[in-house]
Amino acid sequence: MIENFGIVLGEWRLLATGLFNTVWICALSGVLSLILAVFVSLLLVSSRHGVRRVAQGAVDVMRAIPFLMLLFIVYYCLPAVNVRLSSWTCGLSALVVYNTAYFAEILRGAWAHLPREQTETGHAYGYAGLRLYHRIILPQIFIASGPVLGNQMITLVKNSAFLMVITIPDLTFMANQVQAIYFVPFETMLIAVGLYWVVCSTIEGTVRRLDRIAAVRGHE
Amino acid sequence: MVWTSLLTELAKGTLTTITVSMAGLAVGMLSGLLLALVRAGAVPVASQAIAVYVSITRATPMVTLALLIFFGLPALGLALSPLVAAILIISINTSVFQAEIWRASLLDFPRGQLDAARASGMTRVRTFQRIVFPQVWRASLPALVNEMTLVIKGSPAIAVIGVVDLTRVAVRWTTQTYQPIPPFLTATVIYVAVVMCLIWVQRYTERRIVEKYGIL
Amino acid sequence: MSEARTPGDPVIEVRSLSKRFGTLQVLRGVSLAVSAGQTLCVLGPSGSGKSTLLRCINFLERPDEGSVYLRGERVGVHRAGSGRERAMTDRELARMRTRFGMVFQQFNLWPHLTVLGNLIESPIHVQRRSWGEVMAEAEALLDKIGLREKRDAYPSRLSGGQKQRVAIARALAMKPEVLLFDEPTSSLDPELVGEVLAVMRALAREGQTMIVVTHEMGFAREAADEVMFLDEGTVVETAAPDRFFGSPATARVRQFLQRYA
Repeated sequence: MIENFGIVLGEWRLLATGLFNTVWICALSGVLSLILAVFVSLLLVSSRHGVRRVAQGAVDVMRAIPFLMLLFIVYYCLPAVNVRLSSWTCGLSALVVYNTAYFAEILRGAWAHLPREQTETGHAYGYAGLRLYHRIILPQIFIASGPVLGNQMITLVKNSAFLMVITIPDLTFMANQVQAIYFVPFETMLIAVGLYWVVCSTIEGTVRRLDRIAAVRGHE
Repeated sequence: MVWTSLLTELAKGTLTTITVSMAGLAVGMLSGLLLALVRAGAVPVASQAIAVYVSITRATPMVTLALLIFFGLPALGLALSPLVAAILIISINTSVFQAEIWRASLLDFPRGQLDAARASGMTRVRTFQRIVFPQVWRASLPALVNEMTLVIKGSPAIAVIGVVDLTRVAVRWTTQTYQPIPPFLTATVIYVAVVMCLIWVQRYTERRIVEKYGIL
Repeated sequence: MSEARTPGDPVIEVRSLSKRFGTLQVLRGVSLAVSAGQTLCVLGPSGSGKSTLLRCINFLERPDEGSVYLRGERVGVHRAGSGRERAMTDRELARMRTRFGMVFQQFNLWPHLTVLGNLIESPIHVQRRSWGEVMAEAEALLDKIGLREKRDAYPSRLSGGQKQRVAIARALAMKPEVLLFDEPTSSLDPELVGEVLAVMRALAREGQTMIVVTHEMGFAREAADEVMFLDEGTVVETAAPDRFFGSPATARVRQFLQRYA
């Protein structure tokens, strides 16, 4: 078994490429999703009943679909309506659309739990509309939902492994390549599992650090 | 476009998805409970080992786990059929989350009731059996049903190792007929319906439990 | 004013009990004795160790030093025929605990069981008494505490006073040799305290052996046969209520009574 690990580590360049791809595609889609989610969450708490219902419906449906299904829909169905995307774009879009729904729901939930005094104080100091949201509410929501957002990021990383099915060279894809070439499946996948653990633990650790900083600054 | 044929195939795929998911959940629930009990019992070496195992497994994607189990185990001498492997994969994945659910309820458990049980002459085992477990499973029910929806949403990973679940049926139909929209649209509707059903069940059980017992 | 009772062999005897939590010495050589049918009230400021003392009597906490006797039998320690002593096992201790009835400050009813369920749980599943006998007993107890109509209700639907009365009935259902009360009314709204004290007074009158840790001076004055004052883990004074409240022997007790009585 030890020699097998040696074989796998010999191909460290392939694994490193896979890891790098996983990390940057997750980071990129994470950031994009979060930005989009801010806007979607605005729709979710809109005072216009119709807007809210439609937005909530879309978010609920998106949260009921398995990620691999969404990926396949983007990959197989879009070409049928003449939208041709590279597999990278497919993967990225699927991740972004999927996670926007989850992030938006998390932000909505955090806003619902925000004590009313915050908004009222903001109004008292002359903040209104978009500025109120941007300077007062948004920071609070982000800090309040930090851990939950962190969990969703971890889920995002785990969902990114599905991208290997449409041949995007992420970590799992590369690990699969290595194990197929050298017939060392157990050791290869074990190392892949270890690398995912490192990535997820880093996210968890970062969230905990940010949470502690927020606590020091006086937030709950 | 032969709808009846498509629907039959999709129905079979749905059945596979649901049975494999439920089987995996059942095994996962039991093993999760065991993991939680060992950790709650603070068994010296086992507790820490389990903590590490839980941490690693929670960070493992379903696809990676599927490849590890289906291709990795045979290399160690244990060959499994795709179906058995699928159940194993799902149960391993869900058991660590179940363990956390059980653990949260067990840790949270009001100490006063344990005092009353001990004062009434119950041994630790009987206290767990008659007082702790009946409340913990009811209190964990919403979280457990939520985990069910996550299992359904993660189940397409088993398509990767050759199990003909709902997702694989849709893909196969597409590659054979070059008409992706009917199978994928219908399959999506089925998935959404199943998940929405489970969410409804979760909300209903949560309400009923609070109505009957108050907050457990 | 309590009636005179015939003193018998002590039901409960505690000898030089000491208990430490970490570096905090909570009990220092506490001794007491309660005879059959007697009610002992334990008073004292918060943190004086009253609860700990009670919990050591039925070994919910293990004392560091000293001994507890229930009708002459040592609690928590098993003495073999050869004279060798060892700590009781979980099972042996559980069996012995059925002879105590304990009522907690937070009631501690089991929320997943009905009121009746709470009453019959231990008698049937621990004491293994017959279903018929236990049911009859439970119904009678429900009548006694005045909650017959709440028989099939779940604890979440009861008021604090009702919950505590059920808790008392639950303790009585085990036919204990002594009842231990750990500040039974401290968590209750003032209007609900009376209904619980009424039940406890009735029990004292009927000749139940009781040890009651409480802040209710009125109850101690009326229902107790003896009042004990605990402060910082030591027994400061033990006396009949007339003496204790009327002309206390120690300055510490006088000081306490000035503040609270």
